[in-house]
Amino acid sequence: MIRVRWWWPAVGRALLPIGVAAVIAVVLAFLLLPIVALVTYQPLHDLINGIGTKVATDAMLVSLKTNAIAFAITIALGTPFAFVLARSRFRGRSVVITIVELPLVMPPAVAGLGLLVAFGRLGLLGHTLRVLGIDLAFTQAAVVLAILFVASPFYLRGAIAAFEALDPTLIDVASTLGAGPVRRMVRIAVPLAAGGLGAAAALAFARGVGEFGATILFAGSFQGTTQTLPLAVYSLFDANLDQAIAIGVLLIIVSAAILLSAKLLVGSWISSRTSPSRAARSIFAPS
Amino acid sequence: LVAGCGASSSTSSSHPAATTTGAGTAATGPGDQATVLAAASLTRVFPQIDPHAKYTFGGSGALETDIEQGAPADVFAAASPKQPAQLYAKGLVTKPVEFATNTLVLIVPNGNPAHISSVNDITKPGVKLVICNATVPCGDYARTAFKNLGITSAAMKNVVSQTTDVTQTVADVALGQADAGFVYVTDAKAAGGRVTVVHLPAQAKPGTKDFIAVVKSGAHQAAARAFVASVLSAAGQAKLSADGFGRP
Repeated sequence: MIRVRWWWPAVGRALLPIGVAAVIAVVLAFLLLPIVALVTYQPLHDLINGIGTKVATDAMLVSLKTNAIAFAITIALGTPFAFVLARSRFRGRSVVITIVELPLVMPPAVAGLGLLVAFGRLGLLGHTLRVLGIDLAFTQAAVVLAILFVASPFYLRGAIAAFEALDPTLIDVASTLGAGPVRRMVRIAVPLAAGGLGAAAALAFARGVGEFGATILFAGSFQGTTQTLPLAVYSLFDANLDQAIAIGVLLIIVSAAILLSAKLLVGSWISSRTSPSRAARSIFAPS
Repeated sequence: LVAGCGASSSTSSSHPAATTTGAGTAATGPGDQATVLAAASLTRVFPQIDPHAKYTFGGSGALETDIEQGAPADVFAAASPKQPAQLYAKGLVTKPVEFATNTLVLIVPNGNPAHISSVNDITKPGVKLVICNATVPCGDYARTAFKNLGITSAAMKNVVSQTTDVTQTVADVALGQADAGFVYVTDAKAAGGRVTVVHLPAQAKPGTKDFIAVVKSGAHQAAARAFVASVLSAAGQAKLSADGFGRP
């Protein structure tokens, strides 16, 4: 039998904080090191010049435009979809939820292939689209579709969860007071779930900005039309590593800004909300 | 003859014994495999020449960057003299050896939706043309062909996407997304019945040459030299010919 020495627990207690600190340091160092390496790869002057090049600004514009469109569509269609799905129980609901979640775990390259064989010229809808005079091949619309497919499920999943977390009686009360479904959603559910919706929207937007695999497969890569920031990084990797890294740093700054503003938004929303009853009172307030 | 010539020029003087290793066959065991970074156009033929080597296929330009950044590699095979020559100038690889030639062709999807019957048709308005990036040999060659034909500005106007290696260009055309693309005749052959080849006129054809070199920092120098020797051997050259490559 092993004799446990009396001082062992004391040593354990003393070592624990050191161990915890070491683990935290290793994890943080691992996550930060690539970012530090990218930022310090070239002199700051070259980095700023790289970010200012035509290929970088073109990619920035393409990224902003396609993501803004995809984001607007995601919010406009995704919010009512999530609201209805969160509030209804029907056979096959879990199947619907699984369909929503599938793109989250699908490799982006597979998503790109799927879009190709669905919406491509020779895809399932290729003939229909041609008849309608629509040719998505190598267009910005294809970039938007790729971002929508890959990023919108992040919003849908988060929004469904946010709406599900609401006290259903609040919405039922609004219903008994004569609020229609649209008003119930816009005036009651969305303000109450704003924190969760904001976080989900930020996640979806950030994922969309970083989208690469589906876009390059489905939309191709061409400066000024379909070449988003991640595609520019990939395209420049062999031609001009300094410039590729400069655009990579720009992408990190954009992503960090999205994350930070989302956190600030959600934070200010939580602090401005005194209590759930305030939202509940708004049901009774005349409008 | 080919094997002897190639092997001697690719072997550094400090390892004269290497010329005898693996001439004709891959004499490498599983414990001493060469890591081969090769152009995407060699994806099918290289594993037939040596099934034991570890391969990374990609655009020659990206592979060049990998080697510059110190990626573990023993052999570099490019679809152009340019990238190996640049690495040779930096002292990173041995003197590159030409081991095959290839032919640039225009491919169109089956059914030829844009009705392209000659290379000059790619300048028609609305044609969706895909080429490789300028830093990848297939993109470099395509631009040379445009220049030789005097259609650079009209052709570049129709380019809707630029890829980072030739296999992506093939895929874009085979899937019917693009109306036409510039690839190697070997890739067109591999795409089977999904694309139709439109040959370029002789005066438009750029000289497409494949070069191979041993990476000096590689951990498997003997295996690397054996690999180069097997590519240059009669058996290796026969495999390359069967895949549509020309003799150097």
